[in-house]
Amino acid sequence: MNSQAQKKLGIVIAGSLNQGIQARLDNNVSVEEVTVGNLVTIQGKSRRFFGMINDISLEVTDAGILQSSSAAEDSFISEILSGTATYGAMQVAPYLTLGVDNSLTDGPQPVKSIPSHFSPVLLANEADIELVFGRESKENFSIGNPLDMEVKLCLDLPEFVRRSNGVFGKSGTGKTFLTRLLLVGILQSGAAVNLVFDMHNEYGWKGTREKASPVKGLKQLFPSLVSVFTLDEKNSIDRGVSTDFVVNIGYDEIKPEDISLLRQTLNLTDQAVSATYQLQKRYGNRWIEEAMKLEDNEESAEILNSLNIHDATFGNLKRGLRNICNLPFVKPQVKERAVEKVLEYLENGKHVVLEFGRFRDITTYILIANLLTRRIYERYQAKTERAMANDSAPPRPLVITIEEAHKFLNPGVASQTIFGTIAREMRKYNATLLVIDQRPSGIDEEVMSQLGTKITGLLDSERDIDAVLAGMSGKSALKSVLSKLSSRQQALIFGHAVPMPVAFRPRDYGTPESYKELGSLRNDVDDDGLEDLW
Amino acid sequence: MALDLHKVASSLFGMTNDFAASQETRAENLANAIKIFASANNAKSLKNKVEASKTSWLVAEIVNDFNGKHKPGALPEEFGILATDGSQIDVDRHRGARCYLINIGTVALKYGNNPRAELNSHPLLFSKEEDLAARPDNYIPGREMMVEGSLLGIRRTVEEFKYLAELCAGIPKKDKALALVDGSLIMWGLLSKEYPDYIVDAVLENGILQQMESIWQLNSERQVALASYISFSRSTDVVNALRVLVCPHEKADCDKYCTGVSTEERPCACFDGIRDRDIFWQSLDCDERSDVFASRSRINCTRYGRHRVHFYYIKTFDEIARVEVPEWVANDAELLSLSHSLVINQCYKGQGYPVALSEAHEQAVVTGADRENFYHLMDEYMAGKKLSVTISAKSLSKKTRWV
Amino acid sequence: MEGVNERLGEVIEASTGGFSAQCYKLYELPALGELVKCHYDETEILAVTCGGSTNSFEPGRRPIARGHDETSEDSLYQNNPQLNQLLRSEFGTVVVGFRQEGKYYHYLPSFPVRLHSFVYRCSDEEIIAFGESLEFLILLEGAQCEVPVEELIAACIRRMSVSNGPDSGFSVRAGKKLTEMYSGDYQRLRAILARLR
Repeated sequence: MNSQAQKKLGIVIAGSLNQGIQARLDNNVSVEEVTVGNLVTIQGKSRRFFGMINDISLEVTDAGILQSSSAAEDSFISEILSGTATYGAMQVAPYLTLGVDNSLTDGPQPVKSIPSHFSPVLLANEADIELVFGRESKENFSIGNPLDMEVKLCLDLPEFVRRSNGVFGKSGTGKTFLTRLLLVGILQSGAAVNLVFDMHNEYGWKGTREKASPVKGLKQLFPSLVSVFTLDEKNSIDRGVSTDFVVNIGYDEIKPEDISLLRQTLNLTDQAVSATYQLQKRYGNRWIEEAMKLEDNEESAEILNSLNIHDATFGNLKRGLRNICNLPFVKPQVKERAVEKVLEYLENGKHVVLEFGRFRDITTYILIANLLTRRIYERYQAKTERAMANDSAPPRPLVITIEEAHKFLNPGVASQTIFGTIAREMRKYNATLLVIDQRPSGIDEEVMSQLGTKITGLLDSERDIDAVLAGMSGKSALKSVLSKLSSRQQALIFGHAVPMPVAFRPRDYGTPESYKELGSLRNDVDDDGLEDLW
Repeated sequence: MALDLHKVASSLFGMTNDFAASQETRAENLANAIKIFASANNAKSLKNKVEASKTSWLVAEIVNDFNGKHKPGALPEEFGILATDGSQIDVDRHRGARCYLINIGTVALKYGNNPRAELNSHPLLFSKEEDLAARPDNYIPGREMMVEGSLLGIRRTVEEFKYLAELCAGIPKKDKALALVDGSLIMWGLLSKEYPDYIVDAVLENGILQQMESIWQLNSERQVALASYISFSRSTDVVNALRVLVCPHEKADCDKYCTGVSTEERPCACFDGIRDRDIFWQSLDCDERSDVFASRSRINCTRYGRHRVHFYYIKTFDEIARVEVPEWVANDAELLSLSHSLVINQCYKGQGYPVALSEAHEQAVVTGADRENFYHLMDEYMAGKKLSVTISAKSLSKKTRWV
Repeated sequence: MEGVNERLGEVIEASTGGFSAQCYKLYELPALGELVKCHYDETEILAVTCGGSTNSFEPGRRPIARGHDETSEDSLYQNNPQLNQLLRSEFGTVVVGFRQEGKYYHYLPSFPVRLHSFVYRCSDEEIIAFGESLEFLILLEGAQCEVPVEELIAACIRRMSVSNGPDSGFSVRAGKKLTEMYSGDYQRLRAILARLR
């Protein structure tokens, strides 16, 4: 089965299970050829090990050699010394063991022992990758290639959507592209329905690309499966995007919890936030309507007094509320509830991308995302419980994609948002999150720990790196790989959906071939003429 | 505790004192002698006077001139040097088997465009009756001489000449060569003891003279000179001619005129202690030879025939050597010149002594260790044949140092 | 089997670790570090020359300067033909292995060579075949010889490198073996490597 010749890199010379394996490079392998993040197999006496290179070093048997100038100046001597007195070494973090005869009965197991001295270390080949990560199939979605390899790296989608996940990386590292890929994967496999809060209008119809023409969005690839909702009809029309629904929010849909989440962005005082609860107690769903009616008069003052709301507090609150009510999509009344529409589509198996058009400010984003999600989740909870009681089919698994996650999930507010709840409750009610963020250190630790799989591009802040890797065993090994990722088109994936951490190059998204492959469920899209349709 | 140097030191010291004292006198005498030598310009008259005189010492026969000097001729381009030397392991009376060993070293050197060298040694073991004892043809038991000691040495010399003649026989035609031996051509040893005639015949007519004859015969097709080299000669032949020169009597007659006269009072006393080499060291320049003289020793004159021994002195860079040649060399200008220039050349190559002779000596020499090894081997063979190796008590006692 | 190998000399002293041989012709010594062989029944014993000398046959006789009046060194020898008979050239060797039934072994044979064995130069093919393993360098390293061990090893490697050819990478392979042997003693290693050119 494993007929492809594997390149031998070196032999094991030292190491421990905790610190990793140290291997010495063979004479004919240049230390410059070896890169962190490469996957290797180690052929032990009775087992095969699978691991990743996470450090490379230069060693010398005799420090005196470094003092001597002859080794540096004389290529003959340095050629002799290389591989004998001077040699390259690499640090390998072992993750899995396989039986020597590649028996597939057990498959790869988490590593519990280490290879013996002088075991050969070989570069992993295609067969090894397929053995560990599986072959591409409906449920095994190819997200790219492991570094420096041609073979496809697959992600177990059903496993992926079982838990909340995160996509991280500093700006410009391709988080949006990665997210798009994941969404396409979920879509292709049918493992879940997506609800995407598309803050920058990147996912629905088309997305931007640096120094190139725009890429196709989800709807272009899967016109019949994806629907685009918009908060800003005009903007969508201007951009040539056909939308399926225009979202408006009625005053009565906004709850004090929603306002509470916006305390920072609206500059509300604590008392103002408390006041919302008072108002709601008094006025129920119409509390905003009523609050806006309250003028600077005696009557109002009385009411406020009776609610124990201070003047200044109310002023502060009203100002904040006015900000919200001034939003074009916030209307006193709406005909069709967006929540209902969204749920309708989701239940029918349609994926929903909500564009925000011009309304890209964080206040809007948090408000809408939280508001809609809260209601959708309530429904999901109810449905799931009913299904359990009746022993009937539960609602479709739902993946909710949110960007700028640290705004929703920072320690301060994580306990208050619905997203924190969803993350904590895992898949209890068949809804999970896909959080996208460039500042993972801003996300609540507990929430981070609930994320099943993380995909991260280059992070340059030590705190961000620590936050992403928190709780991972072998953290320091991954840290060195993570910090060496290229700033573009390289990412590290680890967690439940992959048997072991792996650094990879995400697959192309934007070339005609990629569209063909990604959009393969539906081939009624004419690549060339698409732009002209609009 | 072998030699007590302390006890002999004072005697040594006294001896050197005596030497020092006599040096001054000697120096005066020498200067005088040289003056006389240099001024002797009538060689013919001196020659006659010498022939007419009866002296108690040997006087050189003047052949042509007396005090001449001769530079060496040009070296030929190609020439050969042949030399032999010998040594012996004498009969050891304290040993079981009676035998003696003569070891002859032979050297054949070729100089020129194709230089070659052949260095060999030829050990000869003698154990048969006819070798151990010299007997005349009409042998009467009791009238034999044991070949040992000085007679063995004489026998050895004969063997040296035999090998020399053989070497010479190998000289290609038309080549030039010099055959060399060490020591005198005159068998002085025969004179010192009373050797019966049959011995003398064996040594001379049937011995060395026969070999010299065969070497002489080779000259019909080649040029082969024969010479002997005497280093640091103690001869006084020529000085004695000066004695005759200064003798006041018309014909010198030591018995007649100087019996009873003390040594110091004799007219020729000024030449006491002066040797030929002292004279020629001053008078010759480096590489030069003296005039040729003949030896008036009786045996030379009566038995040597055409090989009658002549001689001349040469000055090498550090000594005066006496070169003896047979008459057929002395009378042949080319052969004489050949002997002179080749000997000089050999001395240069040999650090003052002819290199062929020193190499022949090296080939011939039998060291003490060689002797021991020889006897050892002999004993082993004897023991192997179960023959008794009786060793005398004296021999044993000398073998190890015991308390 | 004499074959076409050149005969270099004859063994005059022998022990398991090495032997000395006298050359047949004066001054026709093998180079330092040359691979040579002797036969012992069915075995070929291989050795590396570790030094040569020319001196007088007899220990008591020392050569003296003779050329004061000579115009050239050649004329000195021409004018003293007895020198060829009185001097001899000899060379010493260190045994580095042996060949039995076509296979090379890079450790000491059980017995020393016999006296008066003929010593032959090894051919290029034999040198290449023997040099496939470099284990014998350890035997050279421990040799007692008059030249420093570093010179001996370097000379041997240079000579074998010539037979192997400049592109064979033999020198580099030998250098790597030396690096193993001299680990911890870089100065000595460097001294040898510098002499490998």
